[in-house]
Amino acid sequence: MSTPADYSGEKRDARLHPQNSNSCSPEECVIRIEHLSKTFQDKQRTVKAVDDVTFDVKRGEIFGLLGPNGAGKSTLIRILTTLLAPTSGTAFIDRYEITKDPEKIRGIIGVCPQNSTLDTELTAYDNLEFYGKLEDVDDRILPDRIGELLHMTGLTDRAHMKVQTFSGGMKRKLEIVRAFIHKPLILFLDEPTIGLDPESRREVWQQIETLNRENTTIILTTHYMDEAEKLCGRIAFVDRGRLISLDTMDNLRLLLPAGDLIEIGFEHMDERVLDALIKHPLVLSATVKEQQIHISARSGNTVLPAIVAIFDRFSVPLTAIAIRSPSLEDVFIYLTGKNLSGDDGGSDNIPGSGGAGETPGLGARGRS
Amino acid sequence: MLKGAIAIFKRDFKKFLGNPFVIIFTLLMPIMYLVIFGNAMGGSITHVPLAVVQEEPYIDNPLLYSASVESLKHMAQKDYPPTFDVRVYTDELKAKRALQGGQVSGVVVFPSPDFPDRAIRLYVDSSDYVTPTMIESGVNAALVQSGFSTRVELNKIYGDIRYIQFFGVGVIVMAIFMTTMMGGGIALIKDREMGIIEGYLVTPVKRSSIIMGMIASGTVRAFLSGFIIFIVDLLITGIIIQSTEDFMLVLLVLFITCIGITSFMVSMASRFSNQQEYASMSAFFNLILFMTSGAFYPVIGMPDWLRWITVINPEYYAVHALRSIILRGQGIEVIGMDLIALSIFSIAAILLGIFTYRRTLE
Repeated sequence: MSTPADYSGEKRDARLHPQNSNSCSPEECVIRIEHLSKTFQDKQRTVKAVDDVTFDVKRGEIFGLLGPNGAGKSTLIRILTTLLAPTSGTAFIDRYEITKDPEKIRGIIGVCPQNSTLDTELTAYDNLEFYGKLEDVDDRILPDRIGELLHMTGLTDRAHMKVQTFSGGMKRKLEIVRAFIHKPLILFLDEPTIGLDPESRREVWQQIETLNRENTTIILTTHYMDEAEKLCGRIAFVDRGRLISLDTMDNLRLLLPAGDLIEIGFEHMDERVLDALIKHPLVLSATVKEQQIHISARSGNTVLPAIVAIFDRFSVPLTAIAIRSPSLEDVFIYLTGKNLSGDDGGSDNIPGSGGAGETPGLGARGRS
Repeated sequence: MLKGAIAIFKRDFKKFLGNPFVIIFTLLMPIMYLVIFGNAMGGSITHVPLAVVQEEPYIDNPLLYSASVESLKHMAQKDYPPTFDVRVYTDELKAKRALQGGQVSGVVVFPSPDFPDRAIRLYVDSSDYVTPTMIESGVNAALVQSGFSTRVELNKIYGDIRYIQFFGVGVIVMAIFMTTMMGGGIALIKDREMGIIEGYLVTPVKRSSIIMGMIASGTVRAFLSGFIIFIVDLLITGIIIQSTEDFMLVLLVLFITCIGITSFMVSMASRFSNQQEYASMSAFFNLILFMTSGAFYPVIGMPDWLRWITVINPEYYAVHALRSIILRGQGIEVIGMDLIALSIFSIAAILLGIFTYRRTLE
């Protein structure tokens, strides 16, 4: 993971616009964003929350917007959902331009904002009914629709209880289906699983996938890598208001130096071990960082016994072994030089990296 | 313990200083009390319109008439303008009609010199709390001044009306205002504070729908409380509404008043995003509107600059209309103007609310 900035800097534009964005027809792309910027000003300072962002979202995909807190994801969503006016640039939702036809756009989108907007003094049923009416759902089908949504969330037996008695997970699920009450063309989910326990997160994911199967395009913002990896077809990285990268998960992985990552902890390193490791045909690179060695290798699972054998041969005791495939987190760190919680520097033990492929058993990081 | 107390103090004080709007309004309140109460309640009442009529058969300038009128005209408290605006009528009927229509506060009918035994007849608007006694003592003083001892016969054209009956009508309007203060716009601000608003601003709902919906719910609530207080007022003060027609007319006035005041509060709330600011602002308006409505004290007692507020004060029209019906038994011909004024005010407030409502988050 050396000098990511140079690499991404040069090829950034090519990656952002695989084909010229203007050529994307409304039939193919449900959202077209063109040089969108948003600046917030107050007495103390000026903040560019969204900085010249251009990209398209295809019909029917689950599109991920990823970035650390404060990257501008929510601002971008608010502009697209007509809650904020852009400072410059524009965007089209379906056939409508955000600044010219906000009313039309509001009719075809469903939004689940980051912070709960449920009226907690009302019951689940009342909340859904209120939205159904505002979204102009036909009164004849509304009660059935509400029943259907409540069933989907497993809240049927709580339909007539006040929302303030619900758990965080129930509220979140209710809010997501509420955004879907009028079967919108596009569903915006801003951090849908923030603050939820793993069980509830999985349920929310299932719901999102179910909704997507009904031909709804879903725009999802998150700073959870595993969430984006699991759900999203294409992923856009946003940092400090700028679009850093946009591609499918598989293509994004290709940006990284190939292979799996193996991290081995030790107490004293022997130069001969390093030599032997680098000479191994499957090992691509090995760098020592304090009490750890980071090895990137093709098919890490097969090469691992050989690596352990090398350590054994020179009697260098191991304190920990971890192996994983590069995750989105790694891609992000590679592209921005910082991790998703917004700290600088590539910390090695990244919480919530989702560890796609972290080998159990070997992953025990017992540094006794 | 002390450390904790200081921390709590500092936090609270920082919040207090961080909200200059509230500070200004909390200071403005007592100042307004001083100015309004001080001027309206304690101030001297001047320029009371008073009709004088010489009874038939008409003789030019009999002594009793001319001396008394002259004396009434120049009657004044020290350093104040004249107490009465004396208007000379030649026809007793016309003068009485002016009294009923509220153009004058009293009519003094001087007997013809041909019938020296007759009394001076005094007609006063007894639905007004202050002017009848002023007129009575004014006329007596004028007689003493000009050296006559003619009898004065007092006629209260609306019978005896006690202060509680006079004030009760104002309380009905107060009930309406209180309800709109608590309900009216506050839900809008709560939605904004709690972020619920973000949820429905992304739906196709129009801002006019949001404002009208809020006004409708506020109006119904205010009407219910106004109605309840109206009934309570009748029971406590012992006023009897003369006919079903009058009763229905009271309900109509209450309803239009509710629309007007609720729209006003909602349109104010449409710009606020902080409950505290809104509460101090609405308390401020509550004071001004209620004080100048004439509910406590007749508008005539207010200084001119305060009196012009009544021209745009919906509560003034409401109080006037309700008094006309409840205390004077007058009908649509008198309160028509009030209803028109209230309607204009309501429409203006609704439009203001719709056009100032922010449809975006900024």
